[in-house]
Amino acid sequence: MVNLPTTPADVLPFIIAIITSHTFITLVFFPGFVHLLIVVMALTWYERKLLARIQLRIGPLYAGGPGGILQPIADGVKLIFKEVMIPYKADKPLFLGVPLALAFLAALPFAVIPFGQHWVIANLDVGIVFVFAVGSLFPSMILIFAWASNSKYPFLGGLRSLFQQVAYEIPMWISALSVVMLAGSLDLVNIVNAQQKLWFIIPSFLSFVVFFIATMAELERLPFDLPEAEPELVAGWYTESSGAVFMVIFLAVYMKLYMMSSLVTVLFLGGWWGPAFLPQPVWFILKTLVVATFIIIPRGVYPRLRVDLLIKVGWTRLLIIALANVFVTVVLLSTGVLSAWGL
Amino acid sequence: MVDLTIPPDLTFVILTTITLLAAIMALQAKELIYGAISLAISFIGIAGFFVSLDAPYLAMLQIAVYVGAVVVLILFTIMLVRREEADKVETPEGGEGAAGLWIAGLLAVSIAGVAALAGPNLPTAPPPANLPISQLGPVLAGSYAVPLIILALLLSAALLGALVLAKVDR
Repeated sequence: MVNLPTTPADVLPFIIAIITSHTFITLVFFPGFVHLLIVVMALTWYERKLLARIQLRIGPLYAGGPGGILQPIADGVKLIFKEVMIPYKADKPLFLGVPLALAFLAALPFAVIPFGQHWVIANLDVGIVFVFAVGSLFPSMILIFAWASNSKYPFLGGLRSLFQQVAYEIPMWISALSVVMLAGSLDLVNIVNAQQKLWFIIPSFLSFVVFFIATMAELERLPFDLPEAEPELVAGWYTESSGAVFMVIFLAVYMKLYMMSSLVTVLFLGGWWGPAFLPQPVWFILKTLVVATFIIIPRGVYPRLRVDLLIKVGWTRLLIIALANVFVTVVLLSTGVLSAWGL
Repeated sequence: MVDLTIPPDLTFVILTTITLLAAIMALQAKELIYGAISLAISFIGIAGFFVSLDAPYLAMLQIAVYVGAVVVLILFTIMLVRREEADKVETPEGGEGAAGLWIAGLLAVSIAGVAALAGPNLPTAPPPANLPISQLGPVLAGSYAVPLIILALLLSAALLGALVLAKVDR
């Protein structure tokens, strides 16, 4: 506990105390702002490189470093200096403001996602509900942005995005329910701690499958990328964005990819637990990148679903599988099969 | 550690200002979509009140249900209805009064019935403050089951009322 400075000599120790405090370090460096920006920029490069390899191309090459790893920086500089085109009759405040809100919302869940036993910004006892509550704000933001563009393609993309995200949110919440039942807690740190001996992917594999598919749909990844279907809708709900606006949206989309991958890691893949030769955050980031890889790969492989199939899969298949797995979890817990692993 | 927490009085003043201003905006906004956004901000302000009252779970559900679902429905309706149509608000004529009386009567009878059946089991003391979330389920479904049922009846009455109001005679 440091008191507010009263004399000029106290100011420097006060500032040092703030900078070296756990809150400041976790908020600004890791797992906060700096780490998120670096990983998200690396993810954009990683996706381009991975997809290029799948399709027997080379991908980014010339922008410095091995394999053109500085490409995201080059892209960022390019996009910042491009003109921001605002459509005629677009709603200007919303058109410029909503992308910022999207990026903020995509980064917000990292406040409660634990990267290690002590590498968490805020240890909230309703962490998982917080993540879902923040996640439920995305569809409305996207719809508002699509409406603010005042253009046909973004609006169609926004409506599709809303349909899709609302339809897949429900199986997602229910599949997370069985994880909450297994851990007996809504706290993400406790959920990871409960997986020290047995990762939840094993007792609730069906949940994992449902959650993963719902994650792909929430992220609008192929085969669920109807909201930005290039042949029909140009670029979906962000067709009209350009320059810095596009950059912020791009950032938000990849931030959300990282956020959902780390959520899968927390809920099903044992979070930071792994052999002790690597520190906990390294294990966490490695697992998250593996999940992100599996989310990215279908983009180079699969075609797009039809709208009716998408809605049908979400409401009639995933929901039922998720509900069934809740009952399986009840049976597993009440018969004490899992007691050997401390559940 | 540096204590940078905001004093509770200031939190209350800030939250009240945000919530009330957003609520006024929601009613006064010329563009319906700005009204919906203001409504969402007002709901988030209410969630902030729940957080400051040590009910974070309720706050999260407030955001998920009201901002995540109700406001989305409102936005959806605004966007699908063309602007000229949205300005004209028609009220149905006649019949609501009688239907309202019927629903109110049914509601009163049901609540009285539930309360009479529950009788002595009705809770008398308020639940303990700072109830852990793991205890929320047992308390709600146990000693507070009767208030929960009464709330459910009230909500179904509201649903019936909405159906009556929305019904168009063909």
